[in-house]
Amino acid sequence: MSYFFQIVVSGIVVGSIYALAALGLVLIYKSSRVANFAHGQIIASGAFITYALTVWAAIPIYISFFASLIVTFFLAWSVERIFLRRLIGEPIISVIMVTIGLASIIDGLIYLTPFGTKNFSFPQFLPSEPIAIAGVSISWTQLVGVIITTLLIGSFSWFFKKSTVGISMRAVSDDQFASMSVGISVPSVFGLAWATAGLSAAAAGGIIGNITGLNFDTLHAFGIVVFPVVILGGLDSILGAVVAGIIMGLIQQFAGGYLDGNWGLNGTGEVLPYVILLIILLIKPHGLFGIHEIERV
Amino acid sequence: MSVNRWLATGNFFTAYQEEQRTFLTNLDRLIFSIFLLILFMWPIFFPLNRTYMLVVDNILVAVIAVLGLNLVTGFAGLISIGHAAFVGVGAYTIASFSRVLGDSHILLTHFWPILILIGGFFGSIMGAIVGLPSLRLKHLYLAIATLSFQMIFEWAIKFLTFFNQGQTISVGRVMWFTGEIGRENHYIFWYYVTLVLIILLGFGIRNLFKTRYGRALVAVRDNDRAADAMGMHPGFTKVYAFALSGFLAGVAGAVHAFLYKGAGIESFTLHHSITYLAMAIVGGLGTLNGSFWGPTAIQILNLQVEKFSEYASNYLPSAMNLATALRPFTFGLVIVLFLMFEPRGIANWWRIAKSYTKTWPFRY
Repeated sequence: MSYFFQIVVSGIVVGSIYALAALGLVLIYKSSRVANFAHGQIIASGAFITYALTVWAAIPIYISFFASLIVTFFLAWSVERIFLRRLIGEPIISVIMVTIGLASIIDGLIYLTPFGTKNFSFPQFLPSEPIAIAGVSISWTQLVGVIITTLLIGSFSWFFKKSTVGISMRAVSDDQFASMSVGISVPSVFGLAWATAGLSAAAAGGIIGNITGLNFDTLHAFGIVVFPVVILGGLDSILGAVVAGIIMGLIQQFAGGYLDGNWGLNGTGEVLPYVILLIILLIKPHGLFGIHEIERV
Repeated sequence: MSVNRWLATGNFFTAYQEEQRTFLTNLDRLIFSIFLLILFMWPIFFPLNRTYMLVVDNILVAVIAVLGLNLVTGFAGLISIGHAAFVGVGAYTIASFSRVLGDSHILLTHFWPILILIGGFFGSIMGAIVGLPSLRLKHLYLAIATLSFQMIFEWAIKFLTFFNQGQTISVGRVMWFTGEIGRENHYIFWYYVTLVLIILLGFGIRNLFKTRYGRALVAVRDNDRAADAMGMHPGFTKVYAFALSGFLAGVAGAVHAFLYKGAGIESFTLHHSITYLAMAIVGGLGTLNGSFWGPTAIQILNLQVEKFSEYASNYLPSAMNLATALRPFTFGLVIVLFLMFEPRGIANWWRIAKSYTKTWPFRY
């Protein structure tokens, strides 16, 4: 039975990271209707900036984590300002392809640094022995990661529900013309959405980097695997991203724990999200919490 | 009024059929014939070594695949981020025959044209299956559905022992009337085969757009509700677009398997899907000659980047692998720059040049 609970715990850990990673995607889609295929690369750069600040610049990780959030905030904001501002109103394929091109450019830039090919791991700053309760163990890094994730998601929800800027972002996602007429600057809201998405991506990157170590391939793979998560949750729902992230994490861990090795299966955790994605798209395309606006033809 | 068959200084159509002609003037026909003649003759006069001939062959295989992608994304307006998987279906059809029958079975060596068609057929079946979500989905959702097909395809090939878990499955050399195609003639032979296939498929698609079935694709792209009101079935049209594109991709994959004498998963990854999309965009979405320019431009760019980084690495510390960094960087930069400054692609330059010379020597 403790095996079962161990899987539940690791599923929740993985799932909460998925939720944080998916949050950035949802933020951008919600305000500007753009699917960001460069999200994995932004996550990776967030993690690498955190590492560079912590180890190379020898800043304590408590400060460097927040510093990297701020750096990535402005990085993502400038990406929107330089590349995507011109494409407002262009067909969806152009916008998707620009984000794919951006992903490629960031890939190239990261391969220029040592991070592209070598593996790094963060210095240990928490107690190394895991906490064990009734045979179920969770490491301190994972626990702190989950706590930070919960705090961040909570503050993002507060930001969207209560703050003026958050409300203006929701207004833009609802109706661009109406929000322009009440004096909201739509382009600057898009910029802000990208910037906050960059911030959440950097947080996700820092946490993943601490839990699994820094490997470029694993980090930017997150950018693709969040798509099943956001589709399951509904592309424009923050609550959906959280719930679907945890569901997806649990499914992956259960598949890894129970399916792999039996009946000659292996690697099912990698493919199941996409199978679920196809099923969701066929029967309930707006996801669990998304707005019902799929147009049928 | 006598009509100048060689130079048209404007559009003087009196019937819709005239507008639909493939070549509007005799000059167009002449230019195209000369172009084809050059394509057929140059390997005789300027024989390339095997490395560069393989690059040329790669371009031509990519042209077939991009023709398919252009059908579904350019003409029918459905974004497909899983095109490499369809190409893979074609290649793995050949590989499966080779695995079941042995890699130099008579079917593979003598009846390979039929196998190429079978590859295309399986590609179109997979295309239709993947296109099924398009009965309900649009735009981004459909793009993500094709993305998930790509991921499932990669997993299935890597998982199943029948497909050698993604390792290369070898395919034997083929026979021609003059005997077996040996090592020295291999790439030149497949150059001509692919060229003939491109011409057949290109004219097929050009003529398809003179029929209702081709026009239905464009109508559904432009406005699916209006198309519905005019009696087309938008859902089935989209599935049929996916099937057509799957056929072309399957043919490309089958040729790829014969060209490389094998099929392995490393040629059909997500990265390749994105490359095909980039080729279609750089060439010009929704244009036929764009499907030719795009792959050429991207492959030549790759070659130059490779050369440059080889040259530059003499002056850099050896630990830095410049090629791995520069390849994605220039690739991404080209996509982004084209989308920002020339969204209609290289085909637009051709169009501008043509419309400029049309009224020559007058300015308008």
